[in-house]
Amino acid sequence: MSAPTGTGVSRRDVIRAGAAGAAFLSTAAIASPLDGARMMPPGVDSDRFAAAVKELRAVVGADWVFANAESTLPYLSTFTPDPDGKHLPSGAVAPASVEEVQAVLKVANTYGLPLWPVSTGKNMGYGNATPATSGQMVLDLKRMNKIIEVDAELGTALVEPGVTYQDLHDYLQANNLPYWVDVPTVGPIVSPLGNTLERGVGYTPYGDHFFMQCGMEVVLADGTVVRTGMGSVKNSTTWQAFKWGYGPYIDGLFTQSNFGVVTKLGMWLMPAPPVYKPFMVRHMEMADVSKIVDAIRPFRMNNLIPNCVLMMGAAYQLAMFKRRADIWTETRSVPDEAIKAEAVKNGLGMWNTYFALYGTDEIIAAIEPIIRSAFEATGGEVLTEKEMAGNPWFEHHKTLMRGGMSLEEVGIVRWRGPGGGMVCFAPVAPAKGAETAEQTKLAKEILGKYNFDYNAAFAVGSRELHHLIFLLFDKDDAAEERKAQACMEEMVLRFGEKGWAAYRTGVSTMDLVANQYGEANRMLNKRLKAALDPNGVIAPGKSGITL
Amino acid sequence: MHIAKMAMFTAGIITATSAALAAGQTKPAYQGRTPQDVYRVTCGYCHGHNVGPLILGRKLPAATIQTMVRAGRGAMPAFRPTEITNAELAALGLWIEKSKANAKEHGQ
Ligand SMILES: Cc1cc2nc3c(=O)[nH]c(=O)nc-3n(C[C@H](O)[C@H](O)[C@H](O)COP(=O)(O)OP(=O)(O)OC[C@H]3O[C@@H](n4cnc5c(N)ncnc54)[C@H](O)[C@@H]3O)c2cc1C
Repeated sequence: MSAPTGTGVSRRDVIRAGAAGAAFLSTAAIASPLDGARMMPPGVDSDRFAAAVKELRAVVGADWVFANAESTLPYLSTFTPDPDGKHLPSGAVAPASVEEVQAVLKVANTYGLPLWPVSTGKNMGYGNATPATSGQMVLDLKRMNKIIEVDAELGTALVEPGVTYQDLHDYLQANNLPYWVDVPTVGPIVSPLGNTLERGVGYTPYGDHFFMQCGMEVVLADGTVVRTGMGSVKNSTTWQAFKWGYGPYIDGLFTQSNFGVVTKLGMWLMPAPPVYKPFMVRHMEMADVSKIVDAIRPFRMNNLIPNCVLMMGAAYQLAMFKRRADIWTETRSVPDEAIKAEAVKNGLGMWNTYFALYGTDEIIAAIEPIIRSAFEATGGEVLTEKEMAGNPWFEHHKTLMRGGMSLEEVGIVRWRGPGGGMVCFAPVAPAKGAETAEQTKLAKEILGKYNFDYNAAFAVGSRELHHLIFLLFDKDDAAEERKAQACMEEMVLRFGEKGWAAYRTGVSTMDLVANQYGEANRMLNKRLKAALDPNGVIAPGKSGITL
Repeated sequence: MHIAKMAMFTAGIITATSAALAAGQTKPAYQGRTPQDVYRVTCGYCHGHNVGPLILGRKLPAATIQTMVRAGRGAMPAFRPTEITNAELAALGLWIEKSKANAKEHGQ
C-alpha cells in the first residue's frame, strides 16, 4: 500500500497503531490531516483547512470537530478494500441541530470544504463512514438522535439521523406500543434514516424501507430547509400519513444521492400481528436455486408470502459462526462438497430459504398448506420451530423476520482472518430461476479466479432479487486486499455486460456502477447537482455524481 | 386467540396509548448511559453471543477496550464519540476490566 504523500504513514499503519495501544496515538509519529496532503480536501491547503476547522468549532463546539489523526481514527475504519488510500476523510464534524447543519454547510461553501454526511456511519460492506473520495470531512449526524414523534394510532414514526433501530425498538417497548420495526440484519447499531436513504432492506412485510418511508426534511446546500410530501403544508397533520404530496414526487432525489442533507425521516411501523410463524425450507444442492426462485415468485407477487424472503447460501450461513480454517485449509475457493459436509452437520442445506406467515391462526392455517406443497414439489424440506427450535441459524432468522435485534451476521467479516474484510456486490436479478442460476454460476467463476469463496444470499423482493455477494477477505494481508478490489471490479463489469447492475454499491465502485446506468442518467444527475449544490460541497462522488 | 389482540390487528385500534406522543419526548440518549446499558445495546450482541470473543471476566485492561472501540478491528467496526462518549467509554472500559464472567454468555 502506498503511503499518503509527505507523511510516510498509511491508513493501515494508523489503524494498526490504534489496535496496538492508545499510547502510540499520542506520539507525533502519526500524521495529522493538517500535514498529510493526501487526506486534505482537493484544492484546500493546510491554512485554509485550519481556518475552516476553527469556524466549525465555533458552530458545533470544540469537542465535536475531529481534525487530527487520533480523533479521526474511528472514521477511517472500514471493512471495504482501499489498497491505495482513496477513501480517507480529512476529519469529521458533528452538529447537534438543523441550525448547526445549516451553519456547517455555510462554512463548507465558504471554504470549498466537501462534507460526507452519515447518520450512524455503519454502512458496512459499502464503506462504513468513509467518503467516495479522500479529503472529505465526515458530517456525522449521530448526535441528532431524537425520536420526534410516534403516532400510536397511525403507526408512524418521525426520526432524526442518529436514531438507531435499537432506539426505536426500545421506545416502542417502553411505551407499550403494539408495533414492530423492520430491521436490516444489523439493527442495533445502524439507523432507519441512513438505511432508508441507501434503499436498504429488512425481512418483515415492511422490508422495503424506502417504500415504507413517508416524508423527509432536507437541508439543501444553500441552507434552505425543505419538507417533502405533506410536510410543507401549513398546519399539516398528514406528513407521515401520505407519501406523495402534490406535484413532482421528490423524496427519491435524496436517496443514494448528494443533493441535500436529510435531517428528519418519516416511516411506517408494522402493527404487531397476533400470530407469527417462521419457516425454513432446506434444499441440498447449489443447483436448486432455480427451482426455489420459481417457487417463491408467485407467492411474492400475490403476497401470500408477505415478507422479503431470504435464500441463504450455506457458505454465508456457516461464516456467521465459523471461520474458513475450521472447514478448509487450502488456498483455492472452498469447494461445494466441503461446504455441504459442514452444512449437514449443522442442520443446514446448501440453500436455506426463510419466510414467515403473519396474522391469526386461521389465516396461517389456510395459507400454510398451499405454500408447503409448492416448496415440497421442488424437493425442499419445509421446516418450522417444531423441527428447528434451538438451531442457531433458524433462531437468528426467526428474530429477523419479526424485526428483532441481532448482530450475529457481522461474524462473517472475519471468515478469512482476524483482520476482517468485506465488500458487498449486490446485483439485481429478475425473479426467474434460470437467470438467477446464471448469476450464481458467474459469481462463482469470478470469485474462484481470485480464490475467494461464494458467501452469498438472495433477498427476494416482489419481482426481483437482490443477489447479495459478500466478498470476504483479510485486511491484514495487503495483497489480498488489493485482490479483493480487483475481484469486485471484475464482478461489477462482467455482470454489467449481461445487463445485471447493482442496486447500491460501496465507495470504491461508485463510478463504475454509475457508468453502467448510462450517460444520459449521469448527465441528468450532474445537472441536478449543479442546480442544487453549485459548489459541490455535499458528498462529491456519491453514486458517481460530481459537478 | 386473544380477542382483544385480534381486534387490534384487524381494525388497527390501539388501546394502550391513544394520542400521538409529544415531540421530543425521548430520553436524552447517549448522555450518561451506564456501562451496563452500553454493553446491552452494543457490545453484548457479538461478545458472548457466538460472534466476538468473550470480554467479561478476563481482566482486559480498560485502555485496551478503549482503543479497540475507537479503532475497530476485524469484524468489529469502530465506534465514535458521537455513539459512545469519551466519558461513557472510560466507564465502560473500567467496568469490563473489573467484570465477572457471565455464565449466560457463550462464544469463543
Ligand atoms: C453482515 C452484514 C449484514 C448486513 N445486512 C443488511 C441488510 O439486511 N439490509 C441492508 O439494507 N443493509 C445491510 N447491511 C449493510 C449496512 O450495514 C446497512 O445498510 C446499514 O443500515 C447502513 O449504515 P447506516 O444505517 O449506519 O447508514 P449510514 O452509513 O449513516 O448512511 C449510509 C449512506 O447514506 C447517505 N446518508 C446517510 N445519512 C445521510 C443524511 N442524513 N443525509 C444525506 N445522506 C445521508 C450517505 O451516503 C451514507 O454513506 C449489512 C452489513 C453487514 C456487515
